[in-house]
Amino acid sequence: MTKLIQNEQSNVQLTRRGFLQNAAWMAGAVATGVGSWVFPAKWAHAAGPIKVGIATDLTGPISFAGIPNSRIAKIAIDQINADGGILGRPLEMYLEDTASNEQIAVGVVRKLVQRNRVDVVLGGITSSMRNAIKDVIVGRGRTLYIYPQLYEGRECTPHLFCTGPTPAQQCDDLIPWLIANGGKRFAFPSANYVWPRVLNEYARKSVEENGGEVVLEEYYPLDQVEYGATVKKIADEKVDVVFNTVIPPGLAPFIKQLYESGFSKRGGRLSCVYYDENCLNFNTADEMEGLASCLDYFQNIEDPFSAELQATYQKKHAHKDKVLFTAGSASTGMYRGMKLWESAVKEAGNVDRESVSAAMDHAKIANGPGGPASIVPGTYHTQMNMYIAVAKGGKYEIIDKAEQVHPKECG
Amino acid sequence: MTILNRVARARPGTSSRLSRLLTIELLVLVLFASMPLVLGLIWGEDDSFFWVVFTTKVMLLSFLALSFDLAWGYAGLMSFGQALFFGGAGYVVAVMSRDLGVSSIFIIVPVGTVVGLILAALLGAFLLSGSRTPSIIFIAFGTLTGSYAAERLARAWYYLGGQNGVSVSKAMTIGDMPLYEGFGFYYLAFGFLLVVYIGCRFLVRSQFGLVLAGIREREERIAFLGYKVQLTRALVFALSGAIAGLGGGLYAFHEGFVWPALMGPLTSTQAILYSLFGGVSTLIGPIIGVSGIEFATIILIDYLRDYWIIILGFLLLLVIMFRPTGLVGLLVSDRERIGSFGRRGVVSKPDARGD
Repeated sequence: MTKLIQNEQSNVQLTRRGFLQNAAWMAGAVATGVGSWVFPAKWAHAAGPIKVGIATDLTGPISFAGIPNSRIAKIAIDQINADGGILGRPLEMYLEDTASNEQIAVGVVRKLVQRNRVDVVLGGITSSMRNAIKDVIVGRGRTLYIYPQLYEGRECTPHLFCTGPTPAQQCDDLIPWLIANGGKRFAFPSANYVWPRVLNEYARKSVEENGGEVVLEEYYPLDQVEYGATVKKIADEKVDVVFNTVIPPGLAPFIKQLYESGFSKRGGRLSCVYYDENCLNFNTADEMEGLASCLDYFQNIEDPFSAELQATYQKKHAHKDKVLFTAGSASTGMYRGMKLWESAVKEAGNVDRESVSAAMDHAKIANGPGGPASIVPGTYHTQMNMYIAVAKGGKYEIIDKAEQVHPKECG
Repeated sequence: MTILNRVARARPGTSSRLSRLLTIELLVLVLFASMPLVLGLIWGEDDSFFWVVFTTKVMLLSFLALSFDLAWGYAGLMSFGQALFFGGAGYVVAVMSRDLGVSSIFIIVPVGTVVGLILAALLGAFLLSGSRTPSIIFIAFGTLTGSYAAERLARAWYYLGGQNGVSVSKAMTIGDMPLYEGFGFYYLAFGFLLVVYIGCRFLVRSQFGLVLAGIREREERIAFLGYKVQLTRALVFALSGAIAGLGGGLYAFHEGFVWPALMGPLTSTQAILYSLFGGVSTLIGPIIGVSGIEFATIILIDYLRDYWIIILGFLLLLVIMFRPTGLVGLLVSDRERIGSFGRRGVVSKPDARGD
C-alpha cells in the first residue's frame, strides 16, 4: 500500500515537473529591450555635445518602419555635423530600441531622458507608442518631443511637435480626386483601431461635402484575413471607391479577394493612404493596378533635394536589405522633424526647452523630403506638400501635387 | 517520501541560528530598503534618479510575480491570467483618473485592490466551481482565455482608448501633495510590498498554509479530511488577484500609461517566468526573479546586444529544467523551503501516523 501511494505521489510530482519543463518554451516570450547605441560626438566643445535621443522600433512587428527611421535620423545628424553642428556644438546620437512594445518603450525612453539627459527625443511610430512615451518625455521629463509618423491627429500637447501628415492633409486633395476619377459611392473597410476611426470620420465629412456618399463603413479585428462577406457587399452596393484602412496581415488577402470579385474590371477605384513604395510588393501588380495613395513624398517626384537624399540612403543601405526610404514608414517625418528642430535651436541660440519650443512653433525649412515644410504656429503640426500617386504596372505615377497643405489640427 | 512527511519529521525548533531562507529574505529587505540612500550617497540624487525609478518599477512588477507564486506555488493553480488582474486594475484607475480626475492614493489603492479581488474571484468561481476537479491544463487554459479576451476587448473598445491605451498624465496625490516617480514613490511601493509580503508569509506559514501545502501535494487526501478544497483554492486565487490589483493600480500611475498588452498573455507569461526563475513556493523567489531578470537585462543588454535575449532564454531554460525550484532552490533545501506551519510544536507527533 505504501509503495502504491508512493508511486502515485511520484507520478503527481512528475506531472508537475513535466508541466514546468513544458513551460520553458515561454522563455522566449519574456519582454526585454534589445539595446541601445551611442554615436559619440566627433569633436569637443566647451558646452559639450547636443544630445539627440532617437526611440524607435528596431525589432518587432513595426521594425519595417523603425529601421529606416533610425537610418534616416543618422543621415540627418551626420549631415548636420558635417556642416559644423548646431551653434558650433556637435550632435551626439542616442538610439534606443523600443521593440514594438510599449512597456519596454517607457523604460528605454526613461533611460534617454533621465540617464542620458538628451535635449530632444524623436521617434515613436504607432499612436499607442506615442501615447506611451509622451508623458515620460514632455510631462515628467520636461524634454522636447518630435513625432514623425502620419497619424489620426488630435495630439495637441505643448512641446510635442508632429511632423507627419494628418487626416486633413491626406484627404483634402485626394477625396475630390477620387470622386472625379472613381465615383460617388464610397466604402470604408477598416481595421478596428483608433487611426482608421478618426481618419474615416474626417474622410466621410469630406466625401459628403464633395457630393459623394459613404454606403459602407465597417471595422474588422486586426487579424481578420477573410473578407468574402465584405467584398460581396461592396459588389452588391455598387461601390465606386474603396477607401481602405485594413492593415497587414488582412490587407493582402482583402485586396486579392476584391480584385478577384472583378471590382477593378467594373471600373472601381481602390485607395489606401498609407501605401508607399515598401507596400508595392504586398500584392501582384495586377491586383494593385490603379490604387491611389496620398502622401508627403514619393520616390519619383520632381525635387532635386529629395532625390539626393534618396540616393544617400540607397548608397548607405541598399546593399543590406530592401527596406526603403519612404513616407509611410515615418522616415520623411523623421528627417523633416530633425531639420525643423535644427533651425529652431539655431534661432533660440541654446537648447533650453522653453526657448527651442517657442522657436519651433514657427520653424521653417526650405528643403526636405517632398519639398519645403513649416510648423503652423500654435498648432504643433506641420504644413507640407502632398502628392497623389496611382499604381501603374507595379510603380507609382505622380498624378497631382498640392502645395503646402494645412494640417488643420489644434486650431 | 513526500516532502510533507519529511517536513513533518523535522524537529521543531532546530534552527537556533538564522535559517538560510530567512537570511535571504532579510538580505533582500535590506537591499531594497537602503538602495536609494546608498546610491544617493555615492552618485548624488540626480544621477541615482534613473535607478531609483527603475527599481520602483521592479518592485511594482514584484506584486505581479508574488501573486502568481501565491496562485501556483501555494494553491496549485497554474494561472496564465495574473496580468488580467494587474492590468485590469491599472485600466480602472487610469480611466478613473482620466474621466473623474481621481488621483488620491486613498482611492487608487483600495480601488485597484478590490478590482483585482473581484476579477480573480469571478474567474476563480467560474473555473473552480464545476462538479469535476479541474486539471492543471483546464486552469491554465481558462485563465489564459480570460487574459486574452481582456486584451482583445481593450484593443477593440474605443472608450478604453483601443490600441492606444489610456495615458495617466496626472500624478498620484496624498492629500494635496503630488507623488511623482522617484524617491517618494519608491518608498511608497516598498512599504506596500513589505506589508503584502509579510501578510503572505504569515498566511502560508499558518495552519491555513498547511492545508494549502496539502492540497498542492495531494488534494484528494485533503478533500477526504473534510476540507472544501476548491473553495480554499478560490480564496487564495482571489487574494492573489487582490495583490496583483494593488500592484497594477500603482503601476498605472508610475508608468503613466496602460495599454491592452498589460492585461494579456505576454504579461501573464512574464509573471510566470519571474516566479519560475526565482523559485516558486518561496515568496521571496519571485521577487528575486523579477530583480534578477530586470537588472541583468538593463545592465547587460548594451554589452551583449545581439545575444542577451538568447542567453536569457537559455538561462531560464536551464534553471527550469534542472532546478524546478528556481534560483532560491540552489541555496535552500526543500525542507526549509516548505518550512513549518502554525505555532511551534503544533506538528509534534509525526511518527504516530505511521502509514
